[in-house]
Amino acid sequence: MRGNRPIQGLSERRLIRLLALLLFFSFLLLLPGDWSRAESGEWEGFNGPVGISELVEHMEHYDGKTVTVEGEVVGDVMNRDGGAWLTVNDDPYALRSLEEGGDFAGVSNSGIGVWVAADMTREIQHTGDYQEKGDRVRISGVFHRACGEHGGDADIHAQSLEVLVRGYRFEHPFQWKKLAVVLLLLFPAVFLWTVRERTRRKRKRRATR
Amino acid sequence: MILRPTREDLKAIGWGVGRVILGVGLLMTVPLVTSLVCREWNTALDFAIGILACFSFWLSMEILCPINRDLTWFQGLVIASGGWLVAMVFGAIPHYLSGHFKSYLDACFDLMSGYTTTGLFLLQDLDHLSHGMNMWRHLLTYAGGQGIIVVALTFLFAGTAGALRIYVAEGKEEKLLPNVIRTARAIWMISLTYLAVGTACLWAALLREGMPAGRGFLHALWLFMGAWSTGGFAPQSLNLLYYHSFLVEMITLVIFVIGSFNFALHYAVWTGNRREIYRNVEVRSFVTTLLIGTFLLTLSIAREGVFSGLTVIFRKGFYNLVSGHTTTGNSTIYSVSFYKDLGFLGIFSVIMVMAVGASACSTGGGFKGLRMGIIFRSLRQEVRRILSPESAVVREKIHHIRDIWIDDAMVRAAMFIVLCYVFIYFVGGLLGVAYGYPPHIAFFDSVSAGSNTGLSAGLTSPLMPATLKLYYIFAMWAGRLEFVSILALVGFAGVLVKGRRARHP
Repeated sequence: MRGNRPIQGLSERRLIRLLALLLFFSFLLLLPGDWSRAESGEWEGFNGPVGISELVEHMEHYDGKTVTVEGEVVGDVMNRDGGAWLTVNDDPYALRSLEEGGDFAGVSNSGIGVWVAADMTREIQHTGDYQEKGDRVRISGVFHRACGEHGGDADIHAQSLEVLVRGYRFEHPFQWKKLAVVLLLLFPAVFLWTVRERTRRKRKRRATR
Repeated sequence: MILRPTREDLKAIGWGVGRVILGVGLLMTVPLVTSLVCREWNTALDFAIGILACFSFWLSMEILCPINRDLTWFQGLVIASGGWLVAMVFGAIPHYLSGHFKSYLDACFDLMSGYTTTGLFLLQDLDHLSHGMNMWRHLLTYAGGQGIIVVALTFLFAGTAGALRIYVAEGKEEKLLPNVIRTARAIWMISLTYLAVGTACLWAALLREGMPAGRGFLHALWLFMGAWSTGGFAPQSLNLLYYHSFLVEMITLVIFVIGSFNFALHYAVWTGNRREIYRNVEVRSFVTTLLIGTFLLTLSIAREGVFSGLTVIFRKGFYNLVSGHTTTGNSTIYSVSFYKDLGFLGIFSVIMVMAVGASACSTGGGFKGLRMGIIFRSLRQEVRRILSPESAVVREKIHHIRDIWIDDAMVRAAMFIVLCYVFIYFVGGLLGVAYGYPPHIAFFDSVSAGSNTGLSAGLTSPLMPATLKLYYIFAMWAGRLEFVSILALVGFAGVLVKGRRARHP
């Protein structure tokens, strides 16, 4: 039994070596190279509104500073512990969402959580979703890269909130073309169903004979 | 001599794939009803089109490919691998019609990501998506977690031996019960029970955190589906960061850890064998790699100094590490934070645990704990053999439901699959680097796709090159099916062209 081992073990050992080699090279590729790109970014001043993706990309520069962001309130206003959480998006869809007929921007949403005092939420009447355009707001507050009060979340603690443009509910125009496609597809489906039932009956009859 | 597949082979494959697509069509009825209830008429039409397309395909296959024999192993393998691809194309119909995808390729990417419980997505403007579409995204990841073949097996295959062949071909080898159809139904029973309990817990937590009841229920259901299936999808673009809730994070963490365990382990515990939790090789492997990962991550976080305090390290470090290890992809930090705030060792530890992944026959991906256990024990066996006298017989065993002695064939099979995973991780990483992405980001996202995790360091976006999208689709598919049925499909395509025609007497 042992006599066979070296031959069988060899392929196993080769596999281990190959594995180790691949892991080693993967590790080498991961070593720090030119990936300190964080330092090279250019960021806007603190006076005007800051883009949220800019804020997130360069968190270290804005940490603990008062910033102003502008965008659409989306999702839910979550009231808790004497305050509330809002999510504010400032991507291109915040101006005109895909559901409203906006163009593809090639990006996902870009948003941030904002902690506001309970009385500030009275200002918010619409939050963005499939059927609503959320209120467009300007929020000034302190940005935290890792908020100690909120479990390390990257957030803004709002000091002021101003509604710039009131949101609204919108209707989706009914897409008659899609209904036509449904009706068109119904014909082949019904036809195929009839053919299938006939062939099944024929086969059953043949089998019973 | 390799024979070209016969007409009977092709018919059997067509018949099987047709049944899988019928399963996809039946699944679409759930989001269709959701859309109707929420008065999202256009979304309802998207699903009606998808359902009719699936039904027409299934009926065509039933008419053109009648079978009167049971399926062979080879046919089962090709149905499983081919079925996933065709299911991707049909399942992407409502996605594309929703108007949230720039191209059909992007829609297919999200479909494959959902089915394979990966969680990467190219969908644009998620925050304005309809409830019906969100239901579809999460439902397909929930169904994909059990395996779409399991879905089809549960309802659409009569108790044939061929059913077992398709089931095994989907990367699941465990049989909880002697009959494979009953095994598939047992998997569903386990998942549905957890669905009821998990959704109720999350709903209560979301209500406490200030969400309205209606949306809270839907979010709870979707979060459960994303976490349990280890898919990691969430209904808002900020993922778990949207909720700012320790409670919600804790519940989802428990759900995805449980979801990442082997269904055979679940079944053993359900039937009273509680000791299995402590003895099972996959649980031990998971705990070991998690401890190593946690050690490295904590070191790195301490060095970076961004996150401090036990709760913060738990929520921003440990949570994402476990999410990566269970190949879930739920996240409580921004993509950039993976390399900016966790540090080099931190990102390395997340990549490492993602590569290792969850348990075999679970909703997770990666090498799997079982294989890690086998390889570790075989290495220990070699070391013991070197240290023992020449005449000594040295053997190692692992415990997985029962004691299993390790042999060379088992080790070789485990090594082969691990090597295949390393290969797809490596090629994906190199491709990313070739396209100009920084290596750590390219490898992070490549491992994430290949191990069906879904965390992203920022590479995956609608603007990524089409070649990379195609490669990631392949990596997610191959990683989920664990290569064997993929190789069978490649072999099938090869013999279709080059095989010799069988001569009939």
